[in-house]
Amino acid sequence: MTTQVSPIRPSPVTPGTEVLAPGHSYGSVTDHIGGIVLWRRFGWIWLAGFAITFLLVLVLTGAIFWLIVRGIGVWGVDIPVAWGFAIINFVWWIGIGHAGTFISAMLLLMRQDWRTSINRFAEAMTLFAVACAGLFPLLHLGRIKFFYWLIPYPNTMWLWPQFRSALVWDVFAVSTYFTVSLIFWYVGLIPDLASLRDRADSRAKRVIFGVLALGWRGASRHWQRYQTAYLLLAGLAAPLVVSVHSIVGMDFASAQLPGWHSTIFPPYFVAGAIFSGFAMVLSLAIPLRVAFKLQDFITLRHLDNCAKLMLVTGLIVAYGYASEFYMGWYSGNVFESFVGLNRMTGPYAVATWLMLTCNVVVPQALWIRFVRRSPFLLFILSLLINVGMWLERFVIIITSLHRDFLPSSWGIYHPTRWDIATLAGTLGLFLCLFFLFCRFLPVISIFEMRELVHQTGQGAHPPDRMEPAHAH
Amino acid sequence: MKQGDNRTSEPFEGDRLWRSLEELTDPASAASAALREFPADNPWRGPDRADAPSRRRFLQVLGASAAMAGLVGCSDRPVEEKIVPYVRQPEQVVPGRPLIFATAMPFNGYGRGVLVESHEGRPTKIEGNPDHPASLGATDVFMQASILSLYDPDRSKTVTRAGRPSHWGAFATELTQRLEAKRQSGSRGIAILTGAVASPTMGAQIKDLRRRFPEIAWYQYEPTARVNTMAGAQAAFGRPLTTLYHLDHARIIVSLDSDFLFEDPMSLRYARHFANARRVRSDTREITRLYVAESTLSITGSMADHRLPVRPAMITQITHALAARLGVAGISKLQFSGELDRFIATAADDLKQHPGTGVVIPGEAQPPEVHALAHAINQALKNVGTTVTCVEPAEVEPTDVRQALKKLVEAMENGTIDTLLILGGNPAYTAPADIPFAQALEKFSNARVADGRLTNFTARLGSHDDETTFLCQWHVPEAHYLEAWSDVRAADGTTSIIQPLILPLYAGRSAHELLALMLKETAQSPYELVRAHWRAQRRDSGDFEQWWLDTLKKGVIDGTASAPVQVGAAKIPAPSSTPSTSVTSLDLIFRPDPCVWDGSFANNAWLQELPKPFTKLVWDNAALISPTTAHRQGLWDGDAVTLMISGKQVDAPVRVLPGLPDDVVVAHLGYGRRRGGAVATDENGVRGFDAYALWASSTPGFATGLTLQKRSRRWELVATRNHHAMSALQGVDHVAGVKPHLKPDVVVTPETSRDELELKNRRLVRVVSLPQFRSNPQAVRELGGESAKKPVLSLYPTSWDYSQGPQWGMSIDLQTCIGCNACIVACQAENNIPIVGKFEVARMREMHWLRVDSYFSGSPDRPSVYHQPVPCMHCENAPCEYVCPTGATTHSTQGLNEMTYNRCIGTRYCSNNCPYKVRRFNFFAFGYQSSKGPEQLQKNPDVTVRTRGVMEKCSYCVQRINRTRIEVEKTVLDLTEQQRTDEARQRRQAMYNDLQTACQQACPTGAIVFGDITDRQSTVATLKAQPHDYTLLDELTTRPRTSYLARVTNPNPALGEGGVA
Repeated sequence: MTTQVSPIRPSPVTPGTEVLAPGHSYGSVTDHIGGIVLWRRFGWIWLAGFAITFLLVLVLTGAIFWLIVRGIGVWGVDIPVAWGFAIINFVWWIGIGHAGTFISAMLLLMRQDWRTSINRFAEAMTLFAVACAGLFPLLHLGRIKFFYWLIPYPNTMWLWPQFRSALVWDVFAVSTYFTVSLIFWYVGLIPDLASLRDRADSRAKRVIFGVLALGWRGASRHWQRYQTAYLLLAGLAAPLVVSVHSIVGMDFASAQLPGWHSTIFPPYFVAGAIFSGFAMVLSLAIPLRVAFKLQDFITLRHLDNCAKLMLVTGLIVAYGYASEFYMGWYSGNVFESFVGLNRMTGPYAVATWLMLTCNVVVPQALWIRFVRRSPFLLFILSLLINVGMWLERFVIIITSLHRDFLPSSWGIYHPTRWDIATLAGTLGLFLCLFFLFCRFLPVISIFEMRELVHQTGQGAHPPDRMEPAHAH
Repeated sequence: MKQGDNRTSEPFEGDRLWRSLEELTDPASAASAALREFPADNPWRGPDRADAPSRRRFLQVLGASAAMAGLVGCSDRPVEEKIVPYVRQPEQVVPGRPLIFATAMPFNGYGRGVLVESHEGRPTKIEGNPDHPASLGATDVFMQASILSLYDPDRSKTVTRAGRPSHWGAFATELTQRLEAKRQSGSRGIAILTGAVASPTMGAQIKDLRRRFPEIAWYQYEPTARVNTMAGAQAAFGRPLTTLYHLDHARIIVSLDSDFLFEDPMSLRYARHFANARRVRSDTREITRLYVAESTLSITGSMADHRLPVRPAMITQITHALAARLGVAGISKLQFSGELDRFIATAADDLKQHPGTGVVIPGEAQPPEVHALAHAINQALKNVGTTVTCVEPAEVEPTDVRQALKKLVEAMENGTIDTLLILGGNPAYTAPADIPFAQALEKFSNARVADGRLTNFTARLGSHDDETTFLCQWHVPEAHYLEAWSDVRAADGTTSIIQPLILPLYAGRSAHELLALMLKETAQSPYELVRAHWRAQRRDSGDFEQWWLDTLKKGVIDGTASAPVQVGAAKIPAPSSTPSTSVTSLDLIFRPDPCVWDGSFANNAWLQELPKPFTKLVWDNAALISPTTAHRQGLWDGDAVTLMISGKQVDAPVRVLPGLPDDVVVAHLGYGRRRGGAVATDENGVRGFDAYALWASSTPGFATGLTLQKRSRRWELVATRNHHAMSALQGVDHVAGVKPHLKPDVVVTPETSRDELELKNRRLVRVVSLPQFRSNPQAVRELGGESAKKPVLSLYPTSWDYSQGPQWGMSIDLQTCIGCNACIVACQAENNIPIVGKFEVARMREMHWLRVDSYFSGSPDRPSVYHQPVPCMHCENAPCEYVCPTGATTHSTQGLNEMTYNRCIGTRYCSNNCPYKVRRFNFFAFGYQSSKGPEQLQKNPDVTVRTRGVMEKCSYCVQRINRTRIEVEKTVLDLTEQQRTDEARQRRQAMYNDLQTACQQACPTGAIVFGDITDRQSTVATLKAQPHDYTLLDELTTRPRTSYLARVTNPNPALGEGGVA
């Protein structure tokens, strides 16, 4: 395995397009980002935010407790709509996770220097989103205590999962995804943890960060092996960006239900996932850069790039919708064409039209450079897209199920307060974890920023002293 | 309590003795507290549902009843002494194998033969007795559900006096003392009130009573007694007679507001015979044609070839017009125009062309005049003796029950009686609104002489603490028909001995015991009473014991069917003045409820949760109106209205039902119960609305002059199916808020356009007419569209070998399915299917494994109605199987789609992927919640009770299949090596042919057939080879094992296609 990687091309520094604001040195970068963890006081905004989200975590705990005590009937699911909020939320959360992996793995492999400022918290976002997502397949089981029957483990009865079921593929896809994301995130943290250890002002911090840093000393040998490992991990994680949501798409596509049974689902789900993921990255990055004064690191260039990616994936998603409606009509199949009609004019028409507005109409504003460079507008837009993508899963799951083949079995779905509590609870869990993350770990990769300082020519030391060129 | 209901009553107060201050100030709560504290006479030790019988108690009862094996009789209590379990097993009892006993269920006064399955002394399932003429092996919903009534935890459990626990001894002492005193003073003032009595033993007892107390007055009251039918015969022939129809001989049937397929005492027989003459096979040349003119939408009406919805009073005129056209003497011609005229003319012509093979059947709701005219028409057509016979009534004394009740009220009011015993029934609830029975009874029970002592004596034998119990001094728990010996006659006179299968669970007594007590007979056990009666009857005819055993075994007494009586020419009563049917007022039509009947099944949860025919309503009744009437009145489903008629009013919810005539409101009796159990009444007090409050004795079938007033409140009606989804009707959209382009088409006929067939229609119900079918037997197959013609292509290898028999399959004949729901309740009883309650049904979580879909097509005024029972299809290519992550639903080598409950973790993907949506999920622990009390004794031990979070569905009654399979394997083992080939196959096939699923066994029309499809001789295989066999959603290539036979109509060419006059 060669470690010889050609150095990254410096970005042309024109005003407003830089990936790092001018005037930063190695020290200032480290102080600014590490300082958030080490020296910054807990402000009331953070405390209030943490308190509110923690309250929502308690709500989630209560909702899960009640679910386990009373049974799945506390939710609004019924026959014919046997899947409800749980699966909607699962697909939504897992989709959000995709942006993190895309940024850290795909963009790394494609040598996009602008990923450096946002990969750390995007990876954390992935991890937390997958954690939220992972809850739902467990909770939605009728008999939660037997969840492990989904896992192929040796047993005396020689019983294995049924490998033709997409739900079993899901188990592999999601657990692999979570594991790889966790390792990737943690490996990426190690040099920064060492930096924090070295700058820590109390023994407790030194011990904690020291243990977590796994003895990192910044030796050349460390760096050499580290870069290799990081690239390898990126290579492992990259296919997951495509595979995980493809498999989630197959959960639906492998059914024969009109509205689910569609070959376009895997690619369209992947595009939708990255779409919603970047929306969530923006929803988090924009407040974050203001709160911790990170405008120098997360620049308008980053926002602009994220917005462009959103526009591209949004167009793929729009193509998916168009294709679904068109194929429903073109197939000449009464059931397929009914699904389209029912989505647009049936009892859930509001959800469909809101979805189309949020996911197709609203992102078209991103063609305008001004919008892409307006943090406020982007923030609003990203929230709308998050809502739209949640509605997309609602429309796919609920409208397909509630009116299928036999009109005698048609029904309706209403979420209960427990459904809403669970959704709100996972939002709370996600944000609560994020609040903790942004105060206790560096939200931006310090060592990679330092590389960026070097590459953009702002470094304080001469080029021959830079680390070996097998940095990216 | 609803406005206008003036039957609110104070409870009977009793002697003014009190035991505590609470009792003095609030007797009701003190009484209930006392009842909780001291449930005397109650073997289960506790009046509450929560107090399930202990295991020990259950084993005691079980041991005792098994030891008696149903033949030793009922002692009055389960044994208290130490008992020991089987050391030597009772002869007939093999643990794990049920015993079947023949007995009979009294219903509406008449008997219907049943076979009862008993597991180790515990009756669990009712089937029809094939030897009984009123059953022919089939059951209706009431027979099926009566097993649950046996275990009803709300049944009264102890003798009470003024609501306080007492005991049988105290009651017996007081009654006998009173009667002794009476006897010495000339026996004046004693009255008994019973339901319609068709029990010979009881008849004899009453005769003895009259001998002992010459002045005793006997009243009969049965809300749904067939008074008009009897009065019609009285008018025509001068005496009350029962009319029997022989529909297997009939070619043309004209029903005049008669629901002979469901509401008649012989309906099961009629349904079977109707189906026999209606079935279509590839070589069928001719089938029965059914004309129905009716004022409701009945099960019979849904089967009609020509159906004419008319206002009820019109039926009299139609009958007159028919009689005139058919040459009945003394009838002047009536002129009609339009479709009415065409209907009458065509029906009359058809009848005329089929002398001796036509039949005119009038409905009980119609006045005697219609019945008399129908007799005259049938005579004129020479149908008497072939399709119609008259027999002597099966009742001991046929009575005009409403007149009898009126007389009793008069007697109570003017003091000619002072001792009243009410045996069975619930007259305080079921009395017509114009007969103030409840008020009279209340006053009667509470009347006192000057010194405060009670003047009168009232006692009541009843199954529940209900409205009547509330107003009586004494209450004695009544034994269920499976708990006490008796006998009963069917409407055709056939007599059965009712043999019990279990000791009374709650110290219940039978009416025979009470009468015996009055007679001061020494032998008071019903067993001895019934035997004594029959011993006396058969004094001269040989060995009684042998006869007794043979009779019990068979379930019917041979030779007891009444012989047809010869009647003279029917006299035609003078035409009564036809009530004016003004446009401004509406007609109110009363019918017994298709689920709770007259209210006596109101505490039966299976029946409450049974979707009513057409409306699919559960847990409620509703005022049914036609879409046009709804539109005109500005009403829609769930709107509350006040129904006002002749000064009485009641609030009711509205439900729109296509196919009803305009300007009528159909009200089903039996709801709005105020007492009588936790199921019968709602937590808020009442369930449904009480149509009895509007029901006048003079207008039992229908009344005119109804006005509707819309109320602001809404009423939550719950149906298992969203009803506008079920209808492909034009013209109701504007009222229902249904978007026309989202309305599914489901019914296809050869007239369906090609475009609609391929692109718009779901092709679920396939209908052809008989001429079309005869000229092109492939007509139904062609309705399958293009996809049906293409060979099935698949990427997967066809690895399953389905050639080795047995391979199970089912055929459901849409031509003969009448939508009576018997299969649903049978399935529920057989497969331990829980009920979930109104709230959970509203959330679409009902658990029925089998449903009957009803579809409407055509115009909302004159729709065609189709019933389609949908069990699991047992697809060979099952979409549910490959999506299950744990492999909990798999295919058996015999072609069954099997659920392994133990392996199910409840992802519910199988249900999502089931195109037929036949899978049911235990969202809560329904199976355990709904049977915490004695109801769990009903459970079929061969079927698992499913736990929370598990998917379930129709198993084709796999427990029955396995029972047969085990028998088959044993048989094969018994054979020698040489015999094993041919003979074994023959015997095996014979045994498999006897195998029936629960739904199949219950079906009155034989519409459901199950069996081995690899055996070419089996019925199911021959049915699947029929040209009009098709499968649901065949384009999905699921290859269902359940297939359907198309509906074949038989319209009169003169009236054209469409099933509508």
